[in-house]
Amino acid sequence: MKNIASRNIIALSSTALALPGIALADAPPTQSTLSYKLSNYQEDDLSRSEAPFGELDRYDIDVHQFQLVSPLGRNMSLHVDANYESLSGASPWFTSRGLDGKPIVNLSGASGISDRRSELSVGSRYYLQNGSVAGNIGYSEENDYRATYFGLNGERHFNNDLTTVSAGLSYSSDDIFPTDATEFNRVLEEDKQSTSLFVSVSQIINQLSSFQSALSFTEQSGFLSDPYKLRDIRPDDKTQIAWSNSYRRFFVSANAALHVNYRYYHDDFGISSHTSDLSWHQNLGRTFQFVPLLRYYNQSAADFFTNVDDFLTPTSEYQSSDYRLSSFGAVSGGFSLIADMGSWKASLTAERYLANDKYSAFDVSEPSTALVKYNRLSLGIDFRF
Amino acid sequence: MRQLRSTLLLTICCLLLVSCADVRAWERGYLAREEMAWDPDALESSLNDHIFFSKEASSGGNSAAGGGCGCN
Repeated sequence: MKNIASRNIIALSSTALALPGIALADAPPTQSTLSYKLSNYQEDDLSRSEAPFGELDRYDIDVHQFQLVSPLGRNMSLHVDANYESLSGASPWFTSRGLDGKPIVNLSGASGISDRRSELSVGSRYYLQNGSVAGNIGYSEENDYRATYFGLNGERHFNNDLTTVSAGLSYSSDDIFPTDATEFNRVLEEDKQSTSLFVSVSQIINQLSSFQSALSFTEQSGFLSDPYKLRDIRPDDKTQIAWSNSYRRFFVSANAALHVNYRYYHDDFGISSHTSDLSWHQNLGRTFQFVPLLRYYNQSAADFFTNVDDFLTPTSEYQSSDYRLSSFGAVSGGFSLIADMGSWKASLTAERYLANDKYSAFDVSEPSTALVKYNRLSLGIDFRF
Repeated sequence: MRQLRSTLLLTICCLLLVSCADVRAWERGYLAREEMAWDPDALESSLNDHIFFSKEASSGGNSAAGGGCGCN
């Protein structure tokens, strides 16, 4: 009897460990999954008060994502990711002061920008008795940018698989070769390197909830300025730290899961930020799921941010009018509708994002023009076989 | 940084406290559901990370960074 009971427990344990969403202990996939997602990302045009001259159209990007996750022998899995993006539109070139004294932005080129990005990443995970180790290599190419990268990570389960500790590192070597460099007096060719480390701890709290806390450090060195801006001079190294926390809770009576995430970020450009997001994964019968989501982000400005370019300062002084280095806040919301039909799964996601200096909880001494508003629509499909 | 260290310490202490709850493998049915995963949709997470990386100054979190792109 005891042996039968033990076998049942082992069988139940193995089943639980093999389930896809298990919060901690994991196991190799038992079947392959091929996924595809098509997304359209469309930024709102600028107004004439923000950009009195030239183009008003901003980025319009189509993204195609492919992913294959497949078992590889008894203890390994294969992961292949491929992305293709095509973009058109214009981005801020320089800022100046308008007739009313307020900052205005001038967008790049009369005909805007047209670019393509292709990326391929291949990785594998090896599953051990109490954890797993994984590695991946990747390559990304654009008309004016190339990145070659790799990553290694591992995780180990402790405390009857209630606790998981993960750690990893990645390295990326990037080359930048701006288009029309001679005509616009841009740099001809530059490079930069990024090294990133992370460690995380996941903990099962009870039968319905789990928590994860992670710390990551990233060191960037090389050419960190924007080569397409008329005046953009940034330090040639940057240290970033991010501390992320995630909480998951299942509500049995509602048949729904709550996701809560928070991240604190700081870098030595002087930028700090807080990111919070909430999503509610509501099951509707056995097939459908509706997921409303809400996100709030706010950051402080870089020490050298200016909302009006100053061309009289010496080039030895750091300066940037990039709106991404300004103090601002952003609110975004949307929903996903998911249909899971066994072998097939389809999803539709819509999202609206609004950035505004008035949404920032940090001091906004120099409000930026050209903060982004965008819509994103995605259609995804998964096939398990 | 001092504030960050204090908060981090507090979180670790909380983790140690809550780790006392024992949940057997066969009691993890709800935790094993797909909607309870840290990232239920890997492509959605990857796309969001890419968009926010290109439109905001912050990046990083619960994994190591991948390759860079000309978007930032």
